[in-house]
Formats: sequence, structure tokens, C-alpha cells
Amino acid sequence: MMSAILLIAIPLLAAFLSILSKKIAPVLLLLVGAANIILLWFVPSGIVIIGDFEMPFGISLFLDSYARIALYLVNGLFFIVTILNVVEYKKLSSILLVALAALNGLLLTGDLFNLFVFLEVAGIAAYLISTTNKKPLATFNYLVIGTVGSILYLFGLMILYGMFGTLNMMDMIHEIQTASIAYSSLILPFFLMFMGLGIEAKLLPFNAWVKGILKHSNTLSGPMIASVYAAAISLMFGRLINNLFMFEGKLLLVVTVLLALGVVLGEAMAFSSKKAREILLFSSISQACITVLLFVNGIIIWAVYVVIANALSKLVLYLIINRATKETKSDDVNDLQGLFAKNIFVGIAFTVAALSVMGLPLFAGFVIKFNYLTQLAVAGQMAIVALILVASLVEGIYFVKLLIKLWYSGEKEINVKFDLPYKAVFAVVTLMIILFGLYSAPLDSLDNGIDTMQDEIGVIYNG
Amino acid sequence: MIQYAAILLMMIGLYGLLTNRNVIKIVISLNVLEIGLNIFIISIGFVYDGIAPILTSVNNSSALLFVDPLPQALVLTAIVIGVGTTALGLAIVKSIYQKYKTLEIDEVEEI
Repeated sequence: MMSAILLIAIPLLAAFLSILSKKIAPVLLLLVGAANIILLWFVPSGIVIIGDFEMPFGISLFLDSYARIALYLVNGLFFIVTILNVVEYKKLSSILLVALAALNGLLLTGDLFNLFVFLEVAGIAAYLISTTNKKPLATFNYLVIGTVGSILYLFGLMILYGMFGTLNMMDMIHEIQTASIAYSSLILPFFLMFMGLGIEAKLLPFNAWVKGILKHSNTLSGPMIASVYAAAISLMFGRLINNLFMFEGKLLLVVTVLLALGVVLGEAMAFSSKKAREILLFSSISQACITVLLFVNGIIIWAVYVVIANALSKLVLYLIINRATKETKSDDVNDLQGLFAKNIFVGIAFTVAALSVMGLPLFAGFVIKFNYLTQLAVAGQMAIVALILVASLVEGIYFVKLLIKLWYSGEKEINVKFDLPYKAVFAVVTLMIILFGLYSAPLDSLDNGIDTMQDEIGVIYNG
Repeated sequence: MIQYAAILLMMIGLYGLLTNRNVIKIVISLNVLEIGLNIFIISIGFVYDGIAPILTSVNNSSALLFVDPLPQALVLTAIVIGVGTTALGLAIVKSIYQKYKTLEIDEVEEI
């Protein structure tokens, strides 16, 4: 019988086995990465009880459409990034297997303490992945800030445990909804947990680690942290925002202002930067804030699409810039001038990904941006709509400036070679961005109902 | 009362993190912060006049007042994770020293 627990157990077992033989480690990594994607197809949805300890006493997993989409995205991206880097970074195979297990655990777990454990395990794997940047102080900063984030999350969770006596996510949500506790007493634990997860999700002002890590990233650490990790943590964060955190009143105002500031400051910093990787990382920060803002406003499905579109676009953008930086030894926009003059195909892939992030018509990013802005307007959030439009304008200016520099050759000639596997990934992502930009009907077939946790709670507690 | 002490310990750890510029002292501050949280978690399970949650031939009635055993189990996990993070932190500190020959953040120009 296929069970969702295999998505965590198999990579963990493979991680242990990979330590025994360094030769088989990269093979195991690729095999397990592919097997997980296939396995996901056969795993049935629902609650998985572990060790026969019934909810809420034991740890349980929860797989619904929301978690399935998240798992396909994360496992798919993870597989692509590992295929492209497995030869160069084969020493990291065991760590990558642990990372895969932890990311799957984050998306599947139905236990809030278990979530902390997976958060820490994923964090430790991420710190080790970031050591490939050869900037130990940046890695150290990441470790310290990430650990503080986990501590804040656990602190908030323990306050909730003291109040409700449960750690099971569904049981906790049910207890919060039914107990007659004043909302003011929930503000502190919710905000502590929000800050803790905000650090991992790159939200301003909790993201001091991002610059040091992504500014010096390579073809493994850049896409892995900016695309795979970012997608997993955003979607896990979204799950908690949709179901657990009931942002209202002053807390909602504080969270909205923080996120809105994150959108504006992220774009402003990207605008003022002259380094290609900095531009991408600040753009990622802004996009992460927009995603969380959508989750906070209950626009679940379009927030999920934003995460997917960003993860795919950032994968292409980071792969191209980091590959070019490796050859040119600089990520200054002026030093990369004319990068696409001899790499027209790669240039088209980069341009399509960048234009999609900006939200220009014909690309998936436009369809997604148009729909979530419409839903925000319907919800009466005109200030947020205006803010996102202004941010998009700024984003458009710096991306167009970047594209002009990269397309038109300067005094120096740049010759960067992109291998066939890279080009294959760029082709697939570019086609997907254009396809969903021109034919968006499949996107409309899903709605906010993909997150069925509240329905499940209704069935369990009300019959 | 013990919860106030735990929160005070966490604040000391946080103060240390914010004010220290030496990487070893930062790791120590992180540990102080973690220990404060661990004590806080243990304090959540405290029951006045409660006994250890172990059924023995003497204490074999569920009517007895036991302390909550779950936070103790949780704190064991949190300690293990904390030790792992500290070990990794110290390994990174070693590579900082090997690369820059200093443990002072202000003397390293990297980020």
C-alpha cells in the first residue's frame, strides 16, 4: 500500500545508505528524486496516521490537492536542480537527500512540532548547501538568523500548546475555533510564529540572511534556495495562514503593513542595484511578500500560481546568471553586457522568464497577476492593488534595463557556454510560461477549494 | 515564576546575539537563547504537586496528579536539534577562522 510517509522515509533511508558509499550517493540521489515524483502519482490523498497512534495523540500527515501540487512542484524542481548539478556537487548528495525528505515533510506534516523539526532539518541542509558559495560568514549569518527564526516559531507554538494542550494542526485549529478565548491572547503566539516563518520565507524585515547567500550563489545554491526552498516554505506558510493564523484587527493591519513595505522596499532595492544576482534576490523578496499578502487575503489559488510561476521563472533566471557569473567571475550588470549576443536561445528563455515575472501579456505571469489583482479589487483592497501596480512598474523598469544590457554587446565579448541539459530545462520552462500565458483555461479549473483542511476538520469533529 | 526566568534567559541570549561581534560569542548567545526556550517548554508541563509521569507499583493510579510528559519529550528533540545546529555553527566558525584568520565579524569584509 502506497503511503505519503514514503515521500519522507525513502529519501531519509537513501541519505543513510549514501553515506556508506560515496560512489553510489549521486546515483541514489537521482533515483530517489525521480522515484519520489512517480510515487506521488500513486499516493492516495487523505490523513496518514503514523504508528497507529490516532489523532491528535500521534503524528499524522495530511495530503490534499494543495499539498499534492506543492509536492509536485518541489520534487520536480528539486530533480531538475540536482540533475544539472549532480556531477559538480556530488559530495553534497547525502545532504540533498536529507533536504528532500525535510521539504516533503514540511509540506505533508499535520503536526506543528513536527513542522518545527522539519524546518530545522531543512534549514541545516540549506546551511550546508550554502557552504558551496565559499562565503562562510554569510553561511554563519544564515545559520544564526535561521535558528532564531525556528526558535521564535517554537516559542509561539509552545504558548499555543500551553493554551490549548495540543500540537496536532487540525486539533489546534478546531480548539482555537471552538474555545472562547479572547483574540488578543492569540496575537503574541501568532505573531511570534509569523516572524519565525517570515525569516525562512524571506519576508522583510526578517530576511537579513538572503543577501549574503543569494548574492554569492552558484548553480546549485541559487536555484535550490531561491526556487525550491522558497516554493516549499511559501506553500507551507500559506497552509498555516489559510487555516491556523486568523489574522484580524490590529494584527492583520500590522502584517499587511509589513508585507506591503516588503513589496515596495524589495522592488526599490532591486531598482537601485547594479549586480544581476542582487536584482534577482531583491525581486524574490518582493514576490515572496506579494505571495504571503495574497494568502493573508484568502486568495489561495492565485497565491499558489504565483509561487509556481516564480519558482519556474527564478529557476531559469538564477541558472543563467549564476552560470554566466561562474565564467565571467563577476555579476555586475556591466560585466555581463552582451551575454545574450551569442546565446540567443538562452537570451530568449531569460527574457520570457523576466517578462513573466513583470506580468506582461502573452506570458503566464500576466494571467496570474491580472486575476489576483481583480480578486483583490473585488475584495475592496484597492490600496494593495495600487501598491502592486506601482511595484510592477518599478520592476518593469529595472528588468528592461537589465535585458537591454544583456542583449546588446559592449566593448568586451562574453562567451558563456550553456550545456544541453541547461538548454532543455530553459526550453521546457519557457514553453510552459508561454503556453499558460496564451491558454489559461486550465488555471481556472482550480479554485480556493484545493486546501481542504477546514473541510476535513468539519468531517472529523462534526461528523 | 520559572517562565519569567526562562524568558529572561531568552532575552539575555537575544541581547548577546545583537551586541556581540565575535562569532564564538554569537554561538554561545544562540545556545543561551535555546536553553531559555527549553526551560520555557519544560515549564509548560509543570503541574503543582505533580509527580513524575511514570506508572510504578507504588504510583499506579491514573487518578494521581502527574506532570505533563509531552513537553519533556519535545525538549529532548529540541536539545538534539540545538546540538546539531551548534556543531554545524562551530564547524562554520572554524572555516571562517581558516579563511580570514579572525573571529571578529568587523574584521571580515565579505558580505
